[in-house]
Amino acid sequence: MTSPEPIITIENVNKYFGQLKALSEVSLQVRPGEKVVIIGPSGSGKSTLLRTINRLEEIDSGRIIVDGLDVMDDKNDINRIRMEVGMVFQRFNLFPHKTVLGNLTLAPMKLRKIERAAAEANGRRLLQKVGIEEKAAVYPARLSGGQQQRVAIARALAMNPKIMLFDEPTSALDPEMIGEVLDVMVNLAREGMTMVVVTHEMGFAREVADMVVFMDQGQILETGPPEHFFQDCRHPRARKFLSQIL
Amino acid sequence: MEKKTIDVSDGAAIPRKKDAGLFSAWRISFAGALIILLCLVVFEPDPYLKILKFLPDGILITFEVTIFAIIFAVLLGLLTGLGRISKNPFINAVASTYVEVVRGIPLLVQLFYIYYALGRFVRLPDMVAAIIAMSLCYGAYMGEVFRAGIESIDKGQMEAARSLGFNRTQTMFYVILPQAWRTILPPVGNEFIALLKDTSLVSILAVADMLRRGREFASETFTYFETYTVIALVYLLITLLLSKMVSILEEKLNYYDQS
Repeated sequence: MTSPEPIITIENVNKYFGQLKALSEVSLQVRPGEKVVIIGPSGSGKSTLLRTINRLEEIDSGRIIVDGLDVMDDKNDINRIRMEVGMVFQRFNLFPHKTVLGNLTLAPMKLRKIERAAAEANGRRLLQKVGIEEKAAVYPARLSGGQQQRVAIARALAMNPKIMLFDEPTSALDPEMIGEVLDVMVNLAREGMTMVVVTHEMGFAREVADMVVFMDQGQILETGPPEHFFQDCRHPRARKFLSQIL
Repeated sequence: MEKKTIDVSDGAAIPRKKDAGLFSAWRISFAGALIILLCLVVFEPDPYLKILKFLPDGILITFEVTIFAIIFAVLLGLLTGLGRISKNPFINAVASTYVEVVRGIPLLVQLFYIYYALGRFVRLPDMVAAIIAMSLCYGAYMGEVFRAGIESIDKGQMEAARSLGFNRTQTMFYVILPQAWRTILPPVGNEFIALLKDTSLVSILAVADMLRRGREFASETFTYFETYTVIALVYLLITLLLSKMVSILEEKLNYYDQS
């Protein structure tokens, strides 16, 4: 069986923050429908790597191809690439001046030129999917962290992206709210969405990931399916990290 | 989503909700000014009522200059503020230099310069010169207000919008500015009130604003004390009313806050 062409290709990427080497010769491929979970200690470069995929971070060398387009090539309209790549942030970053539904309809109406009625219908469908359709008319400040993050996921989905990036989506949440967000992500994974997730939730990685990527000090030290990774990973730093976190 | 505020420098104070007691400074000032003015007009109609009747034309001019100047100043301020945060070094330099130059020259000198000094090349009508000078001056102040307001918005907002596919300009207009408005509004309101007061400077040109009308009346009738008392009270009442309006507007803009 031949596996399909990768939808994300990261090749020999290097990035510096001043003197600090944030990413070092990082290469990674993600195929359509695949779920990749990136783990590693804080400061290991995992969020930086995720953010290079939609060019929220620039890179110093290497190549990143998303959906057939070179992200770093200024001939390609980065905004068109980003429309196909949804992103969920640690701090939610909902638009506070828009209602929940307004958060979901803004980009589809302005960027995809979808009629308000259609955008709102789709928005309500997505809110139902993440389990908060009753909050459509509420402003984000009135929602709990877990609810805000579910809205943020729905907002990204409203653009009908091909890929979803998650940057520590549960790290800013109170423990009792983590489950509701993870549930939404698990469902999304089951529907076949291509996902790249930076997280500390090992349970999620074990349940959902097709591939676990371990990073430390800007390098990818180990990749593999979760059963392999959690059972018998070889790299000592990965083992140390696992023993600390599990 | 905590609300940030910008420190305000001049202009009448915008009443805050916490100062809303019966004897707030605003109420004392407003009631005091109104009562004094009414008493003077009722019990001493000559000259006070005469003075008051003489002023409306001037008040109109004062408002006219203020409103035109504030409109241009806000537009100029928006452009300047955007210029100051622009990544384009040329635009950035132009905007920053404009702010530095204008802030370093007294408004009265700017007025004289545009009216008299540049009069050598173009003779502008009095009103036009006055409005241009006020707009240029306040546009620079507004530019700083806009810049601070835009910079007060969390960086995550820009990232969230950009990640959805909005370009920088779209992000500015759909996401950043609508939020920055309520941070910007109180200082803009202050500038508006400060500008209204500063329009009294145009009385030095041949613009018949409230102060100039008063001066004419006073010098014809030698009622300096009476005239300037009325003028001060009218200015005070106007600025107090405006500051109240700004605080009500501000309240309305907080619609998306918690609770």
